[in-house]
Amino acid sequence: MTCREKSSTVKKLSTQALALAVAASILAPVAPARAEEGKLTYLTWSGYELPEYDEAYLKAHPGAVDISVFGDDDDAFTKLKAGFRPDVAHPCYDKIQRWNKAGLIEPIDTSRIANWNQIFPIFRNLPDIQAGDGKVWMVPWDWGNTSILYRTDLLPKDVEQSWNLLWNPQYAGRMSTIDAVHDTPIVAALVAGVNPFDLSPADMEKVAAKMREQRPLMASYTTDMTSVEQSLASGALVAAMTWNASAVALRKQGVPVAFMKPKEGMLTWSCGFVMIKGTKNKDLAYDFINSRLAPSSGQHLIENNGYGASTSTAFAAVPAEKLKELELPADPEVMLKKTVFTGPMKQAEELGKLLEKIKAGG
Amino acid sequence: MPFAPSSQKTGLNGWLFRALMLVPGGLLGCGLIVFSLGLLVFLSLRHNDGSLLGVGLTLDNFVTLAQDPLYARVAGRSLVIAGLVTAATVLTAYPVAYFLAFHAGRYRAIILFLVTLPFWTSYLLRVFAWKIVLAYNGVLNSFLTGTGILSSPSLAFLNTPAAVVVTLAHAYAPFAILPIFTALESMPRSLFEAAADLGAPPFATFRRVVLPYSIKGVLAAVTVVFIPTVGDYVTPALVGGPNSIMIGSLIQVQFGRANDWPFGAALSVAVMVLIAFVIGLLRQADRRGEKAA
Repeated sequence: MTCREKSSTVKKLSTQALALAVAASILAPVAPARAEEGKLTYLTWSGYELPEYDEAYLKAHPGAVDISVFGDDDDAFTKLKAGFRPDVAHPCYDKIQRWNKAGLIEPIDTSRIANWNQIFPIFRNLPDIQAGDGKVWMVPWDWGNTSILYRTDLLPKDVEQSWNLLWNPQYAGRMSTIDAVHDTPIVAALVAGVNPFDLSPADMEKVAAKMREQRPLMASYTTDMTSVEQSLASGALVAAMTWNASAVALRKQGVPVAFMKPKEGMLTWSCGFVMIKGTKNKDLAYDFINSRLAPSSGQHLIENNGYGASTSTAFAAVPAEKLKELELPADPEVMLKKTVFTGPMKQAEELGKLLEKIKAGG
Repeated sequence: MPFAPSSQKTGLNGWLFRALMLVPGGLLGCGLIVFSLGLLVFLSLRHNDGSLLGVGLTLDNFVTLAQDPLYARVAGRSLVIAGLVTAATVLTAYPVAYFLAFHAGRYRAIILFLVTLPFWTSYLLRVFAWKIVLAYNGVLNSFLTGTGILSSPSLAFLNTPAAVVVTLAHAYAPFAILPIFTALESMPRSLFEAAADLGAPPFATFRRVVLPYSIKGVLAAVTVVFIPTVGDYVTPALVGGPNSIMIGSLIQVQFGRANDWPFGAALSVAVMVLIAFVIGLLRQADRRGEKAA
């Protein structure tokens, strides 16, 4: 055997070995995407992954959290249905019924939540989170508003304080709206004058007509708030449906914006922590939730993002003038008298499909 | 030497060797392609009730698909956008490939390297780069307002189907350049001389000799660019507005928010059939071209 022949045999053999190895690695049983033991996996909205929120937890368990983010809690739902298993997730209240029905979450024992009684009663007593026996399906953590954020210098001074701005053809192509069922369709229903949370088939038609009327005016449907903020700052957009945090972020940059108080009512939502069924990191999960309910964590949420915390102790830690600047009342009940609370929507799935069809031009 | 190729492949060893060599490919082919496609077709015939077999099979998904004009419209839009991308890509790639094959000389290696260079960056980064170029306060608008061509920045660049076409054409350029280059490269240079000897001017030489010779490469480029762009959903999501939502976005939504996997599978199957049809037409054109030649 010459040297050359030998090397070609070696090459063939190694190619075969490689092919076998590839085949074997592909056919090897894939372990389910379950969280590691001893390290918490937390699935949350993008923008909520800041370490400032987890100071106490990270001090006790350095580095023991893996964070995965989503743009919309409906996307998170399908991710969980497809087999992703974090330990703790952060959906909003209107989704709890659906997550619960799908068997994704397990009850949380309120006796292990140190600051449970500091949570405003209006959130603590939300009907869908009650699991009976001192247990709950969700521990409320944050709440905030959805409204129109607009450029005060690019719109007339006396612009009507109404959601109808998002239907004004004068600003076609210079507005955007949030690509989520619990925002755009609810507002369309409010503008159409029907109850967003329980729609008859006739109401549904009205909502669809409103959304179809709106589509040609929108530059985009998105949950990417960073790009919405950039477009508002550059003037590409004059108005956009956003959450409080965008208003706070743009004011910090010195962009002349106002967060509208529409006459039909802003939307107010509340989100919180759920424990994913079968978690092996229960103790860590309780530590994590307790750390988030600590006043300092809530204080960060209020001061940096302009969202409300669920506990009265967090509000007590924020100076009154800061709250005034952020336009947050110290008691959410005051806010909720004037706004529309996003509770469970009976036709959420139908509205989701409708939103997708209308976005595509149907 | 058990693995030496022999002229009489009748020995047990030779048979065993060939069988073994087919195992990885066979496993990959059956496991990853035939099985997955089968699963997709099976899924498309199911009800969306969350169970594996549920209440048996149904054609409902395809009936919905056929009845609602939305899906035909979005599929049509995808074909048009992908067609424009393919045309733009192939038309701009051809001169590059031509130069590479006949005129690049000692720079050929470096130009080939430059052609593949964009692949070193993530696709998402390249899309965002286009966002920066096309945005309201982006590079293009700053240039146009700065030179006085436009009095105020235009909104017409970003969030439009045109932005999707430009971004995709840039991303797929190497896929078109390489097959055309390979086809041109294999062309004997003596054909140029023969054409010149017979009195053909340069343009006639290109039309009658070079183009027919490279048409296989062009068709390969068309196939390689067209098929993946029809189903693309990242690009329209990032640089396109509501008017550039493509069929890929609709499929993604079925597996995501709409939570209707069977319908998403049906849409995928329909798109595959559609693409197969378009490719069939292309191949037929190819064959007819061969007969005529």
